[in-house]
Amino acid sequence: MSLKSSGRKRSKTCSILLGVVLLVMGCGGEKTTDDSHLKKASWNEISGEGEGKEVTFMMWQGSPVINDYINNYVAPEVRKRFNITLNISGGQGPEIVQLVMGEKQADIQEGQVDMVWINGETFFQLRKIDGLWGPFVKQLPHAAYIDFEDPYINTDFQQAINYMECPWSISQFALTYDSARIAKPPANLEELEAHLRQHPGTFTISNDFTGMTLLKCFLAELSGSPQGLNGAFEEKKYKELSNRLWEYINRNKAYFWKGGDTFPREQTRVAQLFANGELDLVYGYGEGGIEEKVLSGLYPKSVKGYAWANGTIKNANYLGILQNSPQKAAAMQVINFLISPEAQLKKSAPDGMNANTILDFSKMPEEWQEKFKRMQKRQYGPSMEDLESRAIEEPAPEYMIRLYEDFRTEVIEK
Amino acid sequence: MKNKGTHLGLLAFLLLGFLPFLAAFGYALLYSFGLVGVVNKGFTIQFWQAALASGTFFTSFLYSAAIALVSVLMSVGGALWITLKFREYLNRGFLSMVTYLPLAIPGIVTGFFVLQILSKAGFFARVAHYFGWIQEASEFPDLVNDRLAIGMILAFISLILPFFVLLFLNIYKNERVEDLSILAASLGASSGQVTRRVFLPILLHKARILIVLYFIFLLGSYEVPLILGQESPQMLSVLIIRELKQFDLDKISEGYVVAVCYTILVSITALVIFLPKRTKIYAG
Repeated sequence: MSLKSSGRKRSKTCSILLGVVLLVMGCGGEKTTDDSHLKKASWNEISGEGEGKEVTFMMWQGSPVINDYINNYVAPEVRKRFNITLNISGGQGPEIVQLVMGEKQADIQEGQVDMVWINGETFFQLRKIDGLWGPFVKQLPHAAYIDFEDPYINTDFQQAINYMECPWSISQFALTYDSARIAKPPANLEELEAHLRQHPGTFTISNDFTGMTLLKCFLAELSGSPQGLNGAFEEKKYKELSNRLWEYINRNKAYFWKGGDTFPREQTRVAQLFANGELDLVYGYGEGGIEEKVLSGLYPKSVKGYAWANGTIKNANYLGILQNSPQKAAAMQVINFLISPEAQLKKSAPDGMNANTILDFSKMPEEWQEKFKRMQKRQYGPSMEDLESRAIEEPAPEYMIRLYEDFRTEVIEK
Repeated sequence: MKNKGTHLGLLAFLLLGFLPFLAAFGYALLYSFGLVGVVNKGFTIQFWQAALASGTFFTSFLYSAAIALVSVLMSVGGALWITLKFREYLNRGFLSMVTYLPLAIPGIVTGFFVLQILSKAGFFARVAHYFGWIQEASEFPDLVNDRLAIGMILAFISLILPFFVLLFLNIYKNERVEDLSILAASLGASSGQVTRRVFLPILLHKARILIVLYFIFLLGSYEVPLILGQESPQMLSVLIIRELKQFDLDKISEGYVVAVCYTILVSITALVIFLPKRTKIYAG
């Protein structure tokens, strides 16, 4: 083989390689859609545009009752009523943010996901990278039943929602104990310390969103008031309070689960450890998430939920539409259905998703008020009304971000 | 014709095996210097400084290497012992199937399985409680998410030991170790000498590349440490994913620094291990 022909072959191979690389690089969706007209469109126009479309909803799929509600009630209903196909994609906070960041980086104008289920932390992150589309909530007819004057609804982690995300449900953080094992559970840091020393290894803090929420409740107690963390993030206040919190935890670390050598990565693990009898206390949103776990047999019927003496955080969770959603009108239709009295009633069933409705009773039509009143009450878990007097606002998102980082460096790695 | 086939094969290898890796590495490198990324603002070395100054990467690397090394050594040692003592039984129907069975179980299942049997409320703890050896769950020893990584090491051993048993059985057969052992014995070697001078050198020499590859594989494993590991220190893959998914978006680039460092270290290790051998072949 001559040098010339070998060179030609090499250059041919390189050309093919380059061609394929360019083809791969050119695969990003470059279609641009102008959805600004939707912000001024009437609901009839939005409904018409959304009909027959396919919507992808990215949500946390860690609970069988939530999955059941979405897959076996919401998806068939939106299909029947609006001819919308609802596809579910698994993912929560970090996954949603990663997806949006990746698509923005690749300049993908028509993303994979249309709507997302988020909390204040993700709202903060998505706003930071301009990942949310809106404002759109005012245009939803069923939004008229929501009280946007309620500070627990119109403010998400101390940020005004500005109709950029639609409230979906509301709940309060609560602690759970087994009354068959503990007569009086600890309700403040002093009592918790005494309990830990008496029953070593029976308490831990999960290194996730839920665990950090517990730490925020502790931080609020150290501030000396349920309103101690309200307002914008203050570095000085955080430093002072968090130093006291780390000192408290490290002082008692040896009495934590596994001697404080490690901490569970997720709240679900804490729930398992509580169910196994390894832990005395568990905690979570949805007033502790007791009902579902008792009904499914994970927790005994003797469990009870309660709020921390200084208060536990109450907040709403929301639905957002992504900036590069290809089906914004259809996503609005689905969100409007999700906040309808009918879908909210179904969602609040104690043997189902058991979520507090986001709707204001006084704003709802009377027939729906009656239906909500007739809804069976919880048998085991506390209601939000029971804990309401001890509700505190979600602090600014920076508290959560700093707690995540410092809990690792000041406690886990020490 | 043959040349054309070779070129197409090379092209397919480059496209499928090398190009995606190179593209991902390039992306991670650019991200780590702040050159790409939605929240990044241009070239900076601050992420490298922060990631290297924290020392987390080095702790995690040493921790991962120690666990991978112990797991591989124990698996290889166990597999050699099993091959030496039970090779005749292992070639028979039922036992042969038992050896293959663990290979079909994914790492994530093994992780959960180990968690279910070794945790403080797991199967063995319940047995211990039933017989009155422990009164409380907390009295059962820490075997998962533990400081000594016992659960992780056991999971890794159960994942790779069967593979090494099968590998050694094959080498034993293909390299006619049986015949060589008989020959050595007939020349006066004791059974210990046969093991040390014939059995072990042949099997280990033939399997050495796979042993190193399994070490690298365990170094980067994810599911087992995610389920059975501690929150600190963490094995490398768990650390990288944690950094990439962190809530502080301004620090995501530090995760890419760790990923780049890990890739460079593993690539250098692989080159150091595999290159001299190639040179020797060509020199010979």
